[in-house]
Amino acid sequence: MTQIVARLLLAPSLVIASAVLIKGYSSVGDGFSAGVIAALGVLAQYLAFGYREADRLLPVRLAPVGAVAGLLLALVVTFSSVLRGEPLLTHSPPPGSEVVHLGTLELITAVAFDVGVFLLVFGATVGILRAVAMARVEDET
Amino acid sequence: MSRLSQIGALTAALGFGATLAIWAAGGGGIDLPWAPALGLRLHFELDGLGVLYSLLATGIGFAVFVYSGGYLPRHLAHQGRPRRDESSFYWFLLLFMVSMVGLVTAQDLILLFVFWDLTAIASYFLIGYDRQDVEARIAALMALVVTGVSAVLLLIGSLMLYVEYGTFSIPEVVERAEPSKLVTVAAGLMALAGLAKSAQVPFQFWLPRAMAAPTPVSAYLHAAAMVAAGVFLLGRIYPLLVTSEALLDGLVVVGFGSMLVGGILALTRDRLKQLLAYSTISQYGYVVVMYGLGGAAGVVGASFYVVAHALAKSALFLTAGAVTEATGEERLSRLGGLARPLRALAVGSGLAAAGLAALPLTIGFFKDELFFDSAEERSGLVAGLAVLGAALTFAYIGRFWIGVFLGPLRSPTHGAPLLLVGPVVGLGGVVLVGGLYPEPFVRLANAAAEASLGFATSVEASYHLDARVENLMAVFVYALGAAALATERAWRAAALGASSLGERLGPERLYVASIRGLNGLSDRIHGIEVRDLRTRIAAILVPGGLLVLLGLIATPHTTAYVVGGIAREDLGLVLVLLTTAVAALATTFPRQHLTLLLVAAGVGFSLAVVYAFLGGPDVALVAALVETTFTLLFIGVFALMPRASLRRLASLRTPGTRRWRDPLVGVAAALGAFLVVWGALSRPSIGDSVADEHVRLTPDAHAKDVVTAILTDFRGLDTLGEITVVAIAFFGIATLLRRGRLW
Repeated sequence: MTQIVARLLLAPSLVIASAVLIKGYSSVGDGFSAGVIAALGVLAQYLAFGYREADRLLPVRLAPVGAVAGLLLALVVTFSSVLRGEPLLTHSPPPGSEVVHLGTLELITAVAFDVGVFLLVFGATVGILRAVAMARVEDET
Repeated sequence: MSRLSQIGALTAALGFGATLAIWAAGGGGIDLPWAPALGLRLHFELDGLGVLYSLLATGIGFAVFVYSGGYLPRHLAHQGRPRRDESSFYWFLLLFMVSMVGLVTAQDLILLFVFWDLTAIASYFLIGYDRQDVEARIAALMALVVTGVSAVLLLIGSLMLYVEYGTFSIPEVVERAEPSKLVTVAAGLMALAGLAKSAQVPFQFWLPRAMAAPTPVSAYLHAAAMVAAGVFLLGRIYPLLVTSEALLDGLVVVGFGSMLVGGILALTRDRLKQLLAYSTISQYGYVVVMYGLGGAAGVVGASFYVVAHALAKSALFLTAGAVTEATGEERLSRLGGLARPLRALAVGSGLAAAGLAALPLTIGFFKDELFFDSAEERSGLVAGLAVLGAALTFAYIGRFWIGVFLGPLRSPTHGAPLLLVGPVVGLGGVVLVGGLYPEPFVRLANAAAEASLGFATSVEASYHLDARVENLMAVFVYALGAAALATERAWRAAALGASSLGERLGPERLYVASIRGLNGLSDRIHGIEVRDLRTRIAAILVPGGLLVLLGLIATPHTTAYVVGGIAREDLGLVLVLLTTAVAALATTFPRQHLTLLLVAAGVGFSLAVVYAFLGGPDVALVAALVETTFTLLFIGVFALMPRASLRRLASLRTPGTRRWRDPLVGVAAALGAFLVVWGALSRPSIGDSVADEHVRLTPDAHAKDVVTAILTDFRGLDTLGEITVVAIAFFGIATLLRRGRLW
């Protein structure tokens, strides 16, 4: 029963996470919340299936890569404005100009920064959970 | 020679050539904005001073890199260390050379400070290069602390000048500076930094210790270049120093003090490098005296002296290293008669020693001529002290060279390799050439003096075969020095007595005592703060609470502490708040860890509901998510702990002393927090708050959600810092739980 519920919850939690991330600039939520929601979805798999099964089902081994990539993305956005001769973390396009919309998603650098936050929080949370789960497995074996 | 030593030598040679070329082309520099908002510029200029010291840093650097190519493999082999340890040596040597060139060409006070400290950092790692040696580590730390702490004086002086004149640019400060108390104090602080770096009395004690470094480092950093940075600073800020007679007189006193202390102690030392280290202290004493005496002769003489000394002294240090390599001995009392087996080395170092002793036909003769010239212009006393100091130099250098190369052969030698002898002969040759054709060196010194004084000087150096005062003083020095050498037995006991007195009462004691005191204080604070979790929290919360309480008492609160009403639609909020309070009280009862955790989570979730009621959906969402994650994480961590110890902890009884104290502390803290929050909330804020500003600006950030705009835009740098902390925490946890493996 737990396993069925956990499996059923995974897809919705990831969908909600991406919705929260994409709608972050126009509605409740942001990269941080999205990262935690997605991580909770993965955590449910750990609780229901155990660490070995979860490792087999999901690409969780990539969590550290995601975390590092997120941090790098945020850093790139932060320092890219310096290359344009503006102070750190000046987002573009500047205030008052037109923004390209894809549905609710706005194509601005602030959103890219938020995606970086999402990746980092997601990757780090899943990575920490996995480290805790594995430490326990190693202790038992 | 290893690849890295070749790269270093090539870099040094290229830098030397480039400096010469730029100087021949009439100088030049770059001037770029660095941090315009702070008035900082990357301004480098190759003026006379810059050229002189750059040539010194790259020229001696070239010789030292070549020498290290032969020295370092043997040094490492002696200590049984692998060859790969070589690379860090060369990188720090290279870092030093580059920062030295940056330092002497910098025209911005902050830039100067940065390079000043970079040279100290390179010096720290190079002194402590033999890291298995406790003495070397202590010496490295001492050099770093003495020069690093005094560097703060340089920074303070720079900031004082900035506050007064509104610029960090050295040429602009010099132009605007007028004699005033502020300029005197600022220049005095900066001069103190310079004196500490040049190992002048009373900061001299770090330099003999620094001899724990490998010999090429001693020759380069602690004789020719880094120590010279101190007197370079005096030359750079000379226009500020001349605004006060007292400062100049102080320099004369310190300089003579260093000359005499260094000279007398050099006469007593048995280890070659120790002797040379005290000699360096006394030699930079000459330079400081000359800056203090001032005038064209003094300033040109000071610059000339630095060049002459650097050439001769680095050659002598390299000699000491080569002799020790060839014989395995480093004490004067166990060496002797090496002139026959090591003929080339004896000639090269003989030239260098003659230069330091100021014999005619070497560049050293002119250094003393200019010194005597500026000294006898001042007064008879100064001239007498100058002769005394120079005679000491003659005596200890004579003692060094005669002791190593003449007399009976005391220790067997297996010859010195070409790479160790070549640089010594080369430097000795330059000392000789400088004695025969002093013209280019004098021109360099004049150019450097022009940068210090602000007007062109035309001091010349040539031999005069007549009975002028300088010549008479020189002859007197030779006679006195030779007499001292001949009568070593007579004064040796007295000199040793002076040396042991200095060791017992000298400034090094003060340094050791202050380091001990600071260590003790740090230990005591550490003991209080991290003994257990309770004292650590108390150490933060009690002072914090007291400060808030003071603020509470100080603010007028006539309009605060209003009891408001409860509207009908707030009923839900009140209920949730009551739940939160009950949950918070409930956390004090459970003894099982898991129960405690779940009750605490209950507090968190109730608070999330409170946020939702107050119209903060973003905050409520994050609160709920974080509470969930942390609860689950805690459960995971509890699962890692041994069951038995958890059970044992849960069954422990509260000790009697804490049964009443803990609730009392809790109630007092809660009351304080209650008063502060009530006072703050019952007084509506006046005027625009930051929150209003954020709401107003949100459309400009193309956002509809204020919280997201704050996180990613208005306060984006904070977010960047926070996610970096998250990443570091992640790596830390992985390191602890998985022994460093992330995957």
